[in-house]
Amino acid sequence: MQTATVVNAPAGAALAPADPGGSAAAASRRANLLLLRRLALPVLAAALVLAVWEVGTRWAQVPEVLLPPPSAVVDRLVNAFPLLMKHAWPTIWQSLAGFAIATVLGISLATLLSASTIIRETLYPNVVFFQLIPKIALAPLFVVWFGLGPEARLSFSVFVSFFPVVIATLAGLDNVERDLLRLCRALTASNWQTFVSVRLPHAMPYIFSGMKIASTFAIIGVIVGEFITSRAGLGYLILFASAQAETALILAAISVLCVFGLAFYGVVALCERWTIERFGDRPR
Amino acid sequence: MNVTAEPRAPAGEDPAAAWRHPAPVAADRDAAYLSLRHARKVYQTRTGDVEAVGMANLDIAAGEFVSILGPSGCGKSTLLSMVGGLETVTEGEIWIEGAQVTGPRRDFGYIFQDPTLLPWKSVLDNVLFPIRTQKRPVADYEAEAHRLLERVGLGEFKAKRPRELSGGMRQRVALCRGLINDPRLMLMDEPFSALDAISRDDMNLALVRLWDSYHKTALFVTHSIREAVFLADRVLVMTARPSRIVADLRLPFARPRDVTVQDTPEFNRICAWLRDQIQAGYGRAAPGTGG
Repeated sequence: MQTATVVNAPAGAALAPADPGGSAAAASRRANLLLLRRLALPVLAAALVLAVWEVGTRWAQVPEVLLPPPSAVVDRLVNAFPLLMKHAWPTIWQSLAGFAIATVLGISLATLLSASTIIRETLYPNVVFFQLIPKIALAPLFVVWFGLGPEARLSFSVFVSFFPVVIATLAGLDNVERDLLRLCRALTASNWQTFVSVRLPHAMPYIFSGMKIASTFAIIGVIVGEFITSRAGLGYLILFASAQAETALILAAISVLCVFGLAFYGVVALCERWTIERFGDRPR
Repeated sequence: MNVTAEPRAPAGEDPAAAWRHPAPVAADRDAAYLSLRHARKVYQTRTGDVEAVGMANLDIAAGEFVSILGPSGCGKSTLLSMVGGLETVTEGEIWIEGAQVTGPRRDFGYIFQDPTLLPWKSVLDNVLFPIRTQKRPVADYEAEAHRLLERVGLGEFKAKRPRELSGGMRQRVALCRGLINDPRLMLMDEPFSALDAISRDDMNLALVRLWDSYHKTALFVTHSIREAVFLADRVLVMTARPSRIVADLRLPFARPRDVTVQDTPEFNRICAWLRDQIQAGYGRAAPGTGG
């Protein structure tokens, strides 16, 4: 801030001195430090836990079946890598497909619910009711209905991840400023026009926050499906390894699952950020 | 016209006598641009019927800028919504150019209290929103959108998003959006009441400058006396409980209108008289209650 063009203060009032705050370089240094701290602290904490785990299991000579040290898990991860990848593939494609189908169905149902009062009054209480059921309990039914193939896991994954999308989308479609809807009415806009030009764009950040939840639910759905009946997939591999008392392999499979889940969630979260940036009314 | 309020000064000294609008000629709605005939709005609530607007009779000529002035809850916004076709009329009729109002019309322009801009669209696209919605050819209106934005001082902000603008600037965009489809009637519902005092003066001036060249019929709802008088050709005063139009003044200020008109004794006398009318509507005239 500069007061270079000298303005004469009226009598009795002194001009405040120029902002004594630091230079731009200092500000950017502060920002970098802050970022470093926000990255470094959680990474350090995780590293500390792993170190304690490694040292603790070795020092107390915990049997590897109970809890192998992280280094053993990494060893297993490396030498069983082809096996892990072979089983990761069905889990990954079924999660992605389940997520995609759930998103399309969820947005469609929410659109229908927001468009028609009658449909909403009929269906929405049921949607909420279904949402309250512990959905995992229904997993065996999907095997009964869809057999032992991937259809059972895919459909269960859709079923589990569908509700967050419906509920978030509906909130977004409904949460439009009333004045904006009044404006549409004043401009003689049709319901369809109002939906396309106002409701749907407004709902975009909501939809993506629902999809963010759905992305983790879709993976849970597939893994649970694989636990129940499957001959492939990471869920199957985890069950198989536990039957063999191969704890390191279980943890290796879980690690692969974590990496995939993190990447999947990360991509959707990035999309969500973008939609908030694009459609929200304040920058983030 | 229910001009029932007694001037508080003796009749001979009534400062408003010179400007008081003559009572409208009944059944003359073909001559007026906009006519209200016993228009009434009653809301049904659990505790009984609430009259939001009672028996409004009014004729407005084409090109008149009319302020509707009154305290909160006097039904002035409801009256505006009925004229705009956003609210149904419980009783009575509203006519515009010989046709009864049954719903919103394409040749209306609206400005609400909030700018209600689409946050994901640029300033220019927000101004063009009514054109796209009403399926008019956008190319025909682009030049006008640029011109309007230049006129309200937003020439350099056309590509910006609403969140990058201040509250006053956003309301200017809303003003341009209201004018873009060249409306026959502008309906403004307390458009500047959410702004700070400085932005508000600024907007009043911007609006007056626009009206130097745009001669559109306008209804402007406000609870600010000075704003009502500064902007309008005619001021209607409404009171609450019962909701009535109690005064109808034709203002003696010419257009193009200068800011300094607000400093004239006449301007201030009119404001004082209007404040009295509002206070009389409260059933008391204690100082400071006329807001």
